[in-house]
Amino acid sequence: MVAGLIEPDSGSVQVDGIDVARNSAAALRRMGVLSDARGLYPRLSARENIVYYGQLQGMSREAADARADELARLLDMAPLLPRRTEGFSQGERMKTALARALVHDPHNIILDEPTNGLDVLATRALREALRRLRDEQGKCIVFSSHIMQEVERLCDHVVLVAQGRTVAQGTVAQLNAMAGLSDFEDSFVKLAFAPVSVPMGQA
Amino acid sequence: MNSALTVFRKELLDALRDRRTLVMVLISSVLLGPLTLVLISSLVSGLEKRAEEREVVVQGLEHAPTLHNYLQRQTYIFKPAPADFEEQIRLSKLGDPVLVIEPSFEAELARGEAPVVLVVSSASNQRAQSAANRLQRLLHGFSQEQAQLRLAMRGVSPVALEALRVENRDLANPAMRSLQLVGMLPFFVLMAVIYGALNAALDTTAGERERGSLEPLLGTPASRLSLVLGKWAAVCCVSMLIAVLSCFSFLPGQWLMRSESLAALFRFGPAQAAQFLLLLLPLAAALSAVLMAIAIRCKSFKEAHANGNAVLLVVSLLPLVAMLGQEGESPWHLWVPALAQITLMGRVLKGEHYGAAEVLVPLAVASALCVLALAFVVRRLRQAAVR
Repeated sequence: MVAGLIEPDSGSVQVDGIDVARNSAAALRRMGVLSDARGLYPRLSARENIVYYGQLQGMSREAADARADELARLLDMAPLLPRRTEGFSQGERMKTALARALVHDPHNIILDEPTNGLDVLATRALREALRRLRDEQGKCIVFSSHIMQEVERLCDHVVLVAQGRTVAQGTVAQLNAMAGLSDFEDSFVKLAFAPVSVPMGQA
Repeated sequence: MNSALTVFRKELLDALRDRRTLVMVLISSVLLGPLTLVLISSLVSGLEKRAEEREVVVQGLEHAPTLHNYLQRQTYIFKPAPADFEEQIRLSKLGDPVLVIEPSFEAELARGEAPVVLVVSSASNQRAQSAANRLQRLLHGFSQEQAQLRLAMRGVSPVALEALRVENRDLANPAMRSLQLVGMLPFFVLMAVIYGALNAALDTTAGERERGSLEPLLGTPASRLSLVLGKWAAVCCVSMLIAVLSCFSFLPGQWLMRSESLAALFRFGPAQAAQFLLLLLPLAAALSAVLMAIAIRCKSFKEAHANGNAVLLVVSLLPLVAMLGQEGESPWHLWVPALAQITLMGRVLKGEHYGAAEVLVPLAVASALCVLALAFVVRRLRQAAVR
């Protein structure tokens, strides 16, 4: 919906004050979206995958190429760049897809369960990268997760969404206080009622 | 339009890197045509050679001096049959039927007892079979001559035995037969276009969807139209590339042709190849668009492949309808894609003239198909991304 692929039943989505439905190209330029679908082109190298998206974002080939190197440093994936993405591990795919989403240096980053299927090391590396994006570059990162540990470590502002409705929001400490519990996971279960719900966190 | 160019370059690179598929396409559509041509031409040249040869393979000719005399008068030459001729004919090693004459032949003939001669050939031995018919006519001629001689000796006019005279006039000659074979060439080139388009068209639509790369692609600011145009142009390009290779593979192919009459008829030089390509371009464009439109509806590459194959079957059967049809060339042929191209390519081969109207009709049909199919793809793209 935020990317303008689905039309909302009611209301509107704005990114930096730009209505997605009315001016989706401008809104998309300000967003880096890593959705559930993170397919890469297996016959292209990681660099080619990233540069392709950069060019589609309106960047020149040289600029996109330079940006790929920059992101490779940030995400610690420089050795992956010249390799074809065929046969990449989950973590390697994830990094490439993330670099692809960030190629145009968007101010807002939306991540849909980015650590799904990643091993411990890759999860840590990703978390580190996200923290650097927030602290060093001041990005606005919206990400969804059902791993409370992750939310606890990364998020400044947490929105709990259960069955499509916002049930609570605030900092981790505020939510703990609201639930009257000390463990955030317990607080989450108590606040969201249904264990299948997905919270949204904002860093 | 910049993004269309970006998409085009990427899809082309992607398709050309798909070596395994490309090699398969090259083997099936680029090599197969010339190979078939060479094989057929050697078959035709074999038939031609045999048709010109006045040669009879005989066993026991020494028992039949009268027949020998007759055959000599017909300017035939004789070859003694090999000992194991039955085996050789069965295995198609011997391309001639064998005439077997019994030792009692001359004596029986003299007594007027109608001696039996044996013509050995095999229905599964194509070359021997066609020569066997000729041999039978030859023997029939001998039989008739003998009968006429006998009647004449008894003072009866040979005409008394002939209530009816049948004359055959076969208008087919080896040249006509080879024309049918040359007619297969546009078909091979057409198949090359189709197979070239198929994989690229599916990979850029259903493949993209299956990989999960369609959703992020639509998340870029590039317009859907430019995405589709870029993909379409790349698919056309791959398809035409295969067509170019296929067309030009026939040029060296015909040097290898063994049949002279076939080679003489086979007017296919670089000029004809270029005309073929010009005629095929609209078809490649339309087919690419249609295949993309079909594939975008499918959830997986496999499903799209099954659907795409159905289209290919129809497209490849259409020219056959025209080839096997009894009515010859009809005006409606030009309105059917693929059939129109086959018809026009046939005219190029025969060196026949075709006018602007005959080129414009298929071009208009192809353009309309392109616009419709591409509009459909653009509309479906968003739906396809989110499933």
